[in-house]
Amino acid sequence: MAHPATAQAPGVRIDGLTVVYRTPAGELPAVRDVSLTLEPGSITGIVGESGSGKSTLALSLLNAVQPPGRIAAGSVEIDGLGDVARFEGERLRKARGAHIGYVFQAAQNSLNPLKTVGKQLLDLGRSHGVDDLRGLVREARELLGRMGLDGARVLDSHQHELSGGMRQRVGIMLALVLNAHLVVLDEPTTALDMITQANILRIVREVHAERGLTTLVITHDIGVVAEVADRLAVMYGGRLVEQGPTREVLGAPSHPYTRGLITAIPRLTGDIDEARALPGRPPTLVTVPKEGCVFRERCALRMDVCDTDDPAAAEHGARVVACHAVKVREHA
Amino acid sequence: MTIIARRLAGHAARGIVMVFAVATISFFIIRNIPGDPMAARYQKLLEQGMSPEAAERATTVMYGFMPKGTLWEQYTDYIAGLFTFDLGVSVTNPGTPVTEVLGEAAKWTVLPVLAGTLLSFLLGVVMGVYAAVKRTGKLGDLLAISGSLLHGVPQYVLALLMMAIFTTILAVLPAGGTADILFEPGFNAGYIGSLIEHATLPVLTYALASYGGWTLAMKSSVVTVLGDDFILAAELRGLKRSIVFRYVARNAILPLFTILALSLGMLFGGAIFIEKIFNYPGLGFLLLESVTNRDYALMGGAFLLITLAIVVANILADLFYTVIDPRVRSGGEVS
Repeated sequence: MAHPATAQAPGVRIDGLTVVYRTPAGELPAVRDVSLTLEPGSITGIVGESGSGKSTLALSLLNAVQPPGRIAAGSVEIDGLGDVARFEGERLRKARGAHIGYVFQAAQNSLNPLKTVGKQLLDLGRSHGVDDLRGLVREARELLGRMGLDGARVLDSHQHELSGGMRQRVGIMLALVLNAHLVVLDEPTTALDMITQANILRIVREVHAERGLTTLVITHDIGVVAEVADRLAVMYGGRLVEQGPTREVLGAPSHPYTRGLITAIPRLTGDIDEARALPGRPPTLVTVPKEGCVFRERCALRMDVCDTDDPAAAEHGARVVACHAVKVREHA
Repeated sequence: MTIIARRLAGHAARGIVMVFAVATISFFIIRNIPGDPMAARYQKLLEQGMSPEAAERATTVMYGFMPKGTLWEQYTDYIAGLFTFDLGVSVTNPGTPVTEVLGEAAKWTVLPVLAGTLLSFLLGVVMGVYAAVKRTGKLGDLLAISGSLLHGVPQYVLALLMMAIFTTILAVLPAGGTADILFEPGFNAGYIGSLIEHATLPVLTYALASYGGWTLAMKSSVVTVLGDDFILAAELRGLKRSIVFRYVARNAILPLFTILALSLGMLFGGAIFIEKIFNYPGLGFLLLESVTNRDYALMGGAFLLITLAIVVANILADLFYTVIDPRVRSGGEVS
């Protein structure tokens, strides 16, 4: 299985995506009116706290939001595939795995505990009509070898015989082995030790470049994004509050939430008191305000308009920011 | 292989200790139940004016033997006898060794209860999967409720109901016994047909009585596995539904094998209520009779058989797990 260069990397256009969850209090949005473009061949990072809707957004890329959730509005256009939000049945199943690879958090057990990795690889091949299963195994061994593992031994192992870092590499292998060119990594380094984290991030970067992928990394760790992502999108309360080139956003954050996140990071050098935690708590599905800005309760720049109008995402150069205060400053 | 051998040796050693303990405890408890039939007979003969020697002879003639010596001596005799599979003589069946009586009864228990257990297991597992997959729909509710109901109804109530329906109202099945006396016991169609006809009700009742438990256990197990990350992961990798289903089923059925192994061990206890109601001369029936008749040797033997069966079932279950669950297999290597 050859993997020709970057030309294959698909672009992704998420437009006006809203995902709701059915609760006793009615259908509540976990992701609201999110628009995001993944350029072909780019690595995009999505940061947000737990409950910000980032995992729901990631699952939407495979149209895999789990009940009681559903995509209520919007589209997810993937080059060469179409709008996966409209996909269903066999068409959806075949897109998953073959065109879009999904890598789970390492601490989540993403492997069947009763079967060896190799047998699960064969299940994957059979599910996607791969005729040359030997070739598939060879490809898997090469990929694992590429990531610094003994491929033959790993394929012969069960999940419980692998460490967290090894499992994560197996997860990446399974996401790529069918030659998918769009890869979603959900918290790829959570629950791994620092050295393994660094290794996994290096692997993600290298494999991304070598195979010509479009990659989306979901994380709550700004450090991870700073390390791998070209573009960064910040989520809060189901909304995308700011996005732009990683360096720009981290160097000069516009949205008060992004600024709060960055000042909350303790520095290795300097006074620990320089890091200031953002006061208050992030909203949950139930406490997200129905109207107005989702962030206003914790915002230092809160104005009257924030209580009534949800700020629209507006372009500011290479940046997209959804904040009334940012608008005001620019226009003043 | 050596791991399995080591485990097996450990199990066997523990099993022997267990059997010995049960033999000891049941011996002393049984001897402390008031109402020894031979002592009563002996006393009665003495009161009627017989000499002790004559009374002892008369009792021996009646029951085939007469216990002698202190309780301790009887105990050591009993334990020594165990090593040669000598469990003593049954007083209700004068002169017949306990092992023979147990063997005869086991014939009528093992096959029907085994059939009933496996039938209810298969049915319960299939229905449990359905109940779990359709848990938000009407069918799922119906299966879960019927499972709870059947699980809650006592065996004897179910047995009486079945008896009423099939032997009286519909009058299609015989009410008791093992086979019609019209047929010559042996390998002929008439006798075998009659055997099956007579076993149907006990087997069905047994299956029905345990079916609810299997359904509920399988349902909760499937629901748990469906929520596991690796199932979502399998779906996100685009695995075929049939393969995902096999992942779910194989993982969900694992914990049920423990219960199955234990109930197969309990099999030698027979199904007391069912055998009594359908007048089926199995081990449960025998145990009940031995208690009523204060047949100590038989009681002790029956308890011992149940213990032995459970110990063996546990060992088999453990060996079985090393085959079907890779985590158990390497669990031994680590320690």
